[in-house]
Amino acid sequence: MDSDYLLPVKRRQFFGDCWMSLGSLAALSLLDRRVSAGPIRAPVFNPLAAKTPHIAPQAKHVIYLFMAGGPSQLELFDNKPKLRELSGQTIPDSFVPNDEKKRFAFIKNDAKLLGSRQRFAKHGESGTEISDLLPHLAGVADDIAVLKTLRGENFNHGPAKMFMNTGFARPGRPGVGAWTTYGLGSDADDMPAFVVMNTGPRGARNLTQLISSGFLPTMHQGVPLRPSGDLILDLTNPKGISRRRQRQAIDTIRALNSVRYAETGDPEIATRIAAYEMAYRMQVSGPATMDLGSETQQTLVKYGAKADEPSFARNCLLARRFVERGVRFVQLFHTDWDDHGGNPQTNIETGIQNRCQEIDRPCAALINDLKERGLLDETLVVWGGEFGRTPQAQNTEPAGRDHHIDAFSVWMAGGGTRGGQTVGRTDDLGFHAVEDSVHVNDLHATILQLLGLDHERLTYRFQGREFRLTDVGGKVVEKLLA
Amino acid sequence: MPNNTHEFRLRTFELLSTLVISSFVIAHVAMGQNDATPSSNHWSFRPIVRPTVPLVEATQDTRHSIDAFVIARLEKEGLTLSPQASREALIRRLSLDLLGLPPTPEAVDRFVADFRPGAYERLVDRLLASPRYGECWGRHWLDVARYADSDGYNYDAARSVWKYRDWVIDAFNADMPFDEFTIEQIAGDLLDGATVSQKTATGFHRNTLYNREGGNDPEQYRVERVVDRVNTTGAVFLGLTVGCAECHSHKYDPISQREYYELFAFFNNSDEPSIEVPTLAQTQTAQKLRLRIEELEEQLKIHDASTDDAFNTWEERIGKLAVDWTTLVPSTATATGGSTIRILDDHSVLVGGVNPPQDTYTIVAETNIEDVTGFRLEVLTHDSLPKKGPGRAENGNFLLSELRVEVAPLADPSDVRPVTLKAAAADHSKPNYDVTAAIDGDFETGWALNTTEGNVSRTAVFETDENINLPGGALVTFHLSHLTGEKYGIGRCRLSLVRSCRPVASGVASPALASIVAISREQRTDEQRKALLTEFRKTDAERNAILAEIAHLKKMIPSPATTLVVAERTEAPRETHIHDRGNYLEKGELVQPTVPAVLPPLHETRREDGERRRQGEGESQPTRLDLAWWLVSRQNPLTARVTVNRVWQRYFGTGIVRTENDFGTQGAPPTHPLLLDWLADEFERNGWSMKQLHRIIVTSATYRQSCQLRPELARVDPDNLLVARQHRLRLSADQIRDAALAVGGLLSGKIGGPSVFPYQVPGVMKVRRTPSDWVMSSGEDRYRRGIYIHFWRTSPHPFLTTFDAPLSDVTCTRRSRSNTPLQALMLLNDVWFLDAASALAERILAESSSSEIERIRSGFRLCLGRWPSQEEQQHLAIYLASQLSEFASEPEAARELVGDRETNGQTAMEVAAWTSLARVLMNLDEFVTRE
Repeated sequence: MDSDYLLPVKRRQFFGDCWMSLGSLAALSLLDRRVSAGPIRAPVFNPLAAKTPHIAPQAKHVIYLFMAGGPSQLELFDNKPKLRELSGQTIPDSFVPNDEKKRFAFIKNDAKLLGSRQRFAKHGESGTEISDLLPHLAGVADDIAVLKTLRGENFNHGPAKMFMNTGFARPGRPGVGAWTTYGLGSDADDMPAFVVMNTGPRGARNLTQLISSGFLPTMHQGVPLRPSGDLILDLTNPKGISRRRQRQAIDTIRALNSVRYAETGDPEIATRIAAYEMAYRMQVSGPATMDLGSETQQTLVKYGAKADEPSFARNCLLARRFVERGVRFVQLFHTDWDDHGGNPQTNIETGIQNRCQEIDRPCAALINDLKERGLLDETLVVWGGEFGRTPQAQNTEPAGRDHHIDAFSVWMAGGGTRGGQTVGRTDDLGFHAVEDSVHVNDLHATILQLLGLDHERLTYRFQGREFRLTDVGGKVVEKLLA
Repeated sequence: MPNNTHEFRLRTFELLSTLVISSFVIAHVAMGQNDATPSSNHWSFRPIVRPTVPLVEATQDTRHSIDAFVIARLEKEGLTLSPQASREALIRRLSLDLLGLPPTPEAVDRFVADFRPGAYERLVDRLLASPRYGECWGRHWLDVARYADSDGYNYDAARSVWKYRDWVIDAFNADMPFDEFTIEQIAGDLLDGATVSQKTATGFHRNTLYNREGGNDPEQYRVERVVDRVNTTGAVFLGLTVGCAECHSHKYDPISQREYYELFAFFNNSDEPSIEVPTLAQTQTAQKLRLRIEELEEQLKIHDASTDDAFNTWEERIGKLAVDWTTLVPSTATATGGSTIRILDDHSVLVGGVNPPQDTYTIVAETNIEDVTGFRLEVLTHDSLPKKGPGRAENGNFLLSELRVEVAPLADPSDVRPVTLKAAAADHSKPNYDVTAAIDGDFETGWALNTTEGNVSRTAVFETDENINLPGGALVTFHLSHLTGEKYGIGRCRLSLVRSCRPVASGVASPALASIVAISREQRTDEQRKALLTEFRKTDAERNAILAEIAHLKKMIPSPATTLVVAERTEAPRETHIHDRGNYLEKGELVQPTVPAVLPPLHETRREDGERRRQGEGESQPTRLDLAWWLVSRQNPLTARVTVNRVWQRYFGTGIVRTENDFGTQGAPPTHPLLLDWLADEFERNGWSMKQLHRIIVTSATYRQSCQLRPELARVDPDNLLVARQHRLRLSADQIRDAALAVGGLLSGKIGGPSVFPYQVPGVMKVRRTPSDWVMSSGEDRYRRGIYIHFWRTSPHPFLTTFDAPLSDVTCTRRSRSNTPLQALMLLNDVWFLDAASALAERILAESSSSEIERIRSGFRLCLGRWPSQEEQQHLAIYLASQLSEFASEPEAARELVGDRETNGQTAMEVAAWTSLARVLMNLDEFVTRE
């Protein structure tokens, strides 16, 4: 067996070649000569080195705009004149046949139908139907593919969010972002591979479980940017430690670690040396990456963002900056779309209007911005929540709807999707798909496919079984692909 | 995916496996290792047979059986064990492995200087006797038990189950045999005369998640909790991935979906209560108090039996009071606020018209009764009032600020004399709005009702200071002020007076009470009798004193901590059905509790020891207790194998079976099958003693080897599966924190108790429903060991998760050991870690007063348990010099780093430079690694 076999071959060395680092240390006469002269050669793993995908990838990055709470498809994308007509009546039997298993979280089967008060219009050359709540998104109608017929399996938020994020309704499985970095590694040399941001009135609960690495190695877990202080935890030096002094400390740590490496030959030490180097690079360039001061006023206005005020708009702009620096997976959580009605915050009158105002301009700006920079082709943007909302009203003043899992809307843009189209059709009241019903597993399979990953081959062995994001299901939605 | 690490490792392993397999091809074929079809012939399902210790070339090492097995295997590859690690390395390794803490320099000195034979064994015994051992190995078990202090899911409510954690720590420290340890956790509640401790142990299976989200189906999540119990039991004790059979028959292992639900049936009849776990002192105090309360209650009974005469007297007086009230007939009634008052036929007054914010009514009446001792104010309901009143507020309430009374002789109405009201009582008042507030002279306070208890008529009585005697008749004027609330006037009321008695002292002579007294005793209903007695007892001073003491004593009874436990369901047992496709709504065939057919049957393994049986022959269905006994019975080959393997894994990074939670046909084969069986057999023979198992492993030469990489091994066995050297293992999150606090001299030695809230960066709680859930502990609780940190499942302490602590959603039988830039950032920059470094710097400066070099050496030794080499010393000296000069040129920065800490005679510059040095020491790979 050739000893060179022990070295990973032809991988992208974004840490910088560790041998080089050690070599340069030797030049500073800080390193024991045994490292270069001695017989021990152990591989230096960069655990997050970029990997070659299974198939030719369309997308290199994903920006997943997760709308926690479950936005109402009936107010945004799925226009139902018939529902308006039958507003105030109970559901005709023909729509919910054999309904013993029909279950909702809160409402009963005698709940009254409720027509949307939103006005819809066809936009762009594609004539994609979008309601007046999203005027800016309507402006990029030809770039997005609206899927009206996604279906889930869980009608409570906790399990449904886990299902949408991890393909499993109980905690303990890796999130989509974790699967992606597991499959593709990272292209970023001064940022984490999977970055998470969170905005909205009450923050996405259970976030840790949604972005978890599950049974995958923990380096794949999402790194949440923090709501205050350092955006990345501990990115700032302690008081009194200047950048130079930090460098001196890291150099000394490296020198001593190198001595130990020479003594023991443990490659984990080399990995740790590399990790400290990357930490330092994150410290040096991270703040600039996350500082919107270098963006033009024009760009800030386009997104509707203020440089130093947390908002969904600012996070969209940050997402673009992260993608530019090679971050593989950026996930934005925005709450609160849980429009049950009966209160002034979450309803399908003023509540949804407020949420739409928060996200509409930034979503459109993100797509335009990526496009102008030539990044949209390699960046997949996904927008959607954990479920949609019922055609029936739950409360009336102000109006709201219950959770609905059988058919709801999401949209995708860029990254190899075919924009300017609507996929799937629901029945006249919006209960079920009558064309192209798409399961959450299918959506996941499609996202992975666009990234060049075959969802059936992206597996991890755990407890005696090969696990997949798509479990035993998943079928790529060909219609969504360009 | 070519060209990636995973693939690379797999391929390496395949190559190695070829080697391994070729070496024990005979054993493997015999065990059906490569059989594609599941069969009970699979190695792990076969009985444990104690193997003969192999004969290997006699050396010092071979006197230990473990070494004989390991060496025999190595000999086949022409390899040998590595030499023993240095004594300094050994004591650090042992301390970290057994206690989870680095050794103190004193402990190192003592061991290094102990040249008598058996020094190492004595060290092992010393460490195993330390209570820190229970915390260290308890922490490992809590991973397996998915312990957390909250429910998980969106709501993630706090739960109290730390008594279970205490139980685990105590069990390890007491070296509770692992079979008992298992039985108590699975079915402690079903043992004969189960103690509180045995019930507490069942908290093991209460560590499941709990979904409290609104609008959910409770049955769905109950079923999920049972599923988790089945899967956890499978992974932890049997090393089997039974979970896959929840939805369909297991693809690889011979466990059918039916068998899954047969296991499920054991756990399907549990309730999920919480019990109190008092301390001994609490129990004793409570016992004393309860005895005293019982005495008082007895006293009360005797007292009540002796009050017939007093009751008769009281009743007579009430009877008199009832007849003595004379309703006053108002002559005029006016209001200052602009409302209108009408006098009704029953002599009550009704207020209407505008409802001003403040109002005072003046009601005047004539009377010729003399010797007046009190007045009665009845507030009455009326259809015209909001919610029928009796007040004018929206809810029918009122707030009477003050009642003032004046009298004047009829003969000379201008001779107005104020009447002092000295006492008042009412049949009903709202808390903090007692009727006495209406005669306290304070307009800010007053009498009001609690209308949530009904919009009904109420009565108040007022007693005068002196009897009013105005021969020839009197003019009585009442001023009812409503100045406290807004629009809180009385709606309707009636006034009466009484003579020659003390109405308040006799209790409230309400019309209702009076009407009961008017009924002859024989004709009163039970309810009426009770009402009368209740009123009488209010006037019974002696009785009230006894009651007050009882109430006082009851408050003093300590309230013990509670803990979540499992208890067998008291209602009709649930039937267990197969859930088609794992869907709890789709109930298939009915099943009974039993164990998978591929394993020894349940009935063969029931304990012969009749005394430990819960029931006799008539027992209809096997219970959790039967399952627990079966798990640890001699016939069950899995529990002992899985347990010793997991322990081995803690010492060598990987188990003898690398898939520590999968001993099924898809799991990895054991690298040392005979050693595994020898250990399992030895474990059972030693009465399942964990401490003995530790002793056996750590006294082997295999364990004591140096961890230095050997070039010749790197080629043959890169993952060191044959254990020709020790492993370097990164410490767990808790251990790194504990070690940092320990070398800084900050670590608290307090054992057990509720979870603590040490420093954590602000903002972590923002993602929670209740962001205020982290109130930092005070004093030493900030520096307790990591095992005690309150674990919120949805917002765990970031230090723990950054260093791979499990999220505790499901059982964790092995933690990841990642090596990331985020960890580097945390060790370099996190506030509490820097605090620990500062503390270490102070310790170095305080403890060794000699030269800089001596100080560097002693700091190094505090952190790593060994002296630095010349070269290491030199790096540190150069660094210290650079920092001294850095901070000399920037004194401002030194002060920033040092903060307002006491500097003990040193300059801020010196303290800053030494803090930097301590920070470097605590960031070394070796500091966070067990070598």
